[in-house]
Amino acid sequence: MNSILFMILRRLRRPLILIIVSFAVATIGLTLVPGVDDHGQTWYMSIFEAFYVISYTATTIGFGEVPYPYSQAQRLWMTFSIYLTVLPWFYAVGKIITLLQDASLRQTIAAERFARNVASLQEPFFILCSYGQSANLLAHILDEKNMRVVVIEQKQERLNELELADTKNTILSLCADAKIPENLIRAGIYNPHCSGVVTLTDNDDVNLAVAVSVKLMQPNLRVLARAERKDIAANMASFGTDTIINPYTLFGDQLAMRVHALGTYILHQWLTGVPGDTLPPPENPPRGNWLVCGYGRFGKSVVENLEQENLTTTIIEAMPDLTECEECVVGSGTEAETLIEAGVHDACGIIAGTDNDIDNLSIVMTAKELNPNLFLIVRKNNRNNGALFRKFGADITMQPTDIIAHECLAHMLTPLLAEFLTLVRDQDNHWANNLISKLVDVVGETVPETFAVTIDADNAEAVSEYIERGLLVKLGNLMQDPSDREKELKLVPLLLVRDEVSMLVPDKETIIVKGDCILCCGTYDAKMTLPASINNNTTFNYIMTGREVPDSVAWRFIQRLISS
Amino acid sequence: MNMEKVVFGFFIVLAMTLNFGFFLGDIDNASHHHVYELYAAITVSLIATVLKFGDRTQVGAILLSTSLAADLQLITAAILWAALQGNMETAHLMVYIVSLSGGALMANFVSVVLLISETISQRR
Repeated sequence: MNSILFMILRRLRRPLILIIVSFAVATIGLTLVPGVDDHGQTWYMSIFEAFYVISYTATTIGFGEVPYPYSQAQRLWMTFSIYLTVLPWFYAVGKIITLLQDASLRQTIAAERFARNVASLQEPFFILCSYGQSANLLAHILDEKNMRVVVIEQKQERLNELELADTKNTILSLCADAKIPENLIRAGIYNPHCSGVVTLTDNDDVNLAVAVSVKLMQPNLRVLARAERKDIAANMASFGTDTIINPYTLFGDQLAMRVHALGTYILHQWLTGVPGDTLPPPENPPRGNWLVCGYGRFGKSVVENLEQENLTTTIIEAMPDLTECEECVVGSGTEAETLIEAGVHDACGIIAGTDNDIDNLSIVMTAKELNPNLFLIVRKNNRNNGALFRKFGADITMQPTDIIAHECLAHMLTPLLAEFLTLVRDQDNHWANNLISKLVDVVGETVPETFAVTIDADNAEAVSEYIERGLLVKLGNLMQDPSDREKELKLVPLLLVRDEVSMLVPDKETIIVKGDCILCCGTYDAKMTLPASINNNTTFNYIMTGREVPDSVAWRFIQRLISS
Repeated sequence: MNMEKVVFGFFIVLAMTLNFGFFLGDIDNASHHHVYELYAAITVSLIATVLKFGDRTQVGAILLSTSLAADLQLITAAILWAALQGNMETAHLMVYIVSLSGGALMANFVSVVLLISETISQRR
């Protein structure tokens, strides 16, 4: 702010000096010119009176001739003074207005204000280095979960959208290039409350630049970056980027998970969803031969993943040479002939995965006419086409940007959640379905809160004191309701990590030791209650023993007297 | 020779000399202190202040602050003069005004000392 003030003053040097000089000359002249008072005697204005007259004249307020009507000589001098002072005055005013409208100055002011607002954040926040479709969704989910978000985006129109958006907390934003380290510092990478940096632009080089600068300046800060090319991803990894997201493999991966293990997929969606949302009704894709339209980077990943699930695929591709497709039916898939040639009548489903939304819709519509029993999976590229896809109502509509946002969320909420979801992938569908029904019993059908608890002196004071005294604390104890120990809080422990070893869905009888990290999933109330009960000695004592120990020494003494 | 430096030095020194000229004389004798001299001192001091804007060096910052101190006291003296003239004994009023200008003189003196010391430290 300081530098801006002095920048303005320095640019105003010339108009200010002009004003001082012109006012000085006009004022001094007015005191030297003789006037006539009401008794017909000669009088001279004092300096103060003259300054007063010149001030209201120069600013064109013009109170008239005070205190006495002016003599000819005074009027002559006033005429001269008007031209002498009014012009510099307007020159200065014009200069100030020009300065305030100066683009570079406004940019500097905006950046300084942004930096100040970020510096005053007193709660954990994430930095998003773009505000594209995925980042947009991510920002809203985080906001819904009451986490603060700071956005750096280069395109002003995207930020305009952000300003108009209805959010719980103010999302601080800056229109600037995230590649410039200065802007990252403004966005708060040195702020102790910064929880991580997410860079999801569609330009790999930008993502790389951001990831590398953040890791160089703040090696301990979590960085989530999007990378399409393998060499870029490797480069990011070498700088220690925590999570690298490849939208293409992620899409194929998720699609395969959806076809193969629906329960696992739903669990994934559910734990990374917006709290309060209900789950979409699950569709179970059939097994058999699948038609895959488009063998680009998405298509390749889809085919690879489907084949891993032992499903056969037939590829339809318009330009087999460009995409290095060895065995395929040539055509775009929008015409009936190509689809028939590919065996649409015997196929069990079709995946329209080109990067053109209208083509994709056209493909599935044609295919549906030819074979009404087909299971239809369609890729939606642009969020703005949502109305078209809703109207069509394919069995599964998959949107890469949504998938990226959910994946990021899994890593951002708590690192334990990402680990949990990875472990879940190794479990079978039956296991996942069991877990889902267990979760639904406890927290209901809406998306629950997911949070981690660490058992140490800082985060669970009462529990760690109990353990230090050599008493046994079971996992089930933590879940007891502090207002009635017979009841249980509405939460399910999903994962317990102890010395790098993970226990999936730990049993209630598990004995807690210090240093345990527990991932829980539960209602908002449970999320708010748990820290209170495990940090408060009185509350936790009640949970463990059913007795309430008074807080004050006097009451404790009285109680001891009564009991003895 | 740099014209900007000449103008800069001229105004800073002039601000001090005018101030000194006004200050000189019996403290309670109105005929020793002319109102135009105070007027000129204020004008030149204001110009000197504006000339000092925007210098980001440490010396520049101190120069600006001494100028602001001088302005503050001189303008206070002028306001007192305009507001209290005729309301109190002239000799009393003069004591206030001249002592304020004496304060401003100190600030202007520091300013000139800084200017000279900076000039000397540059070996060109």
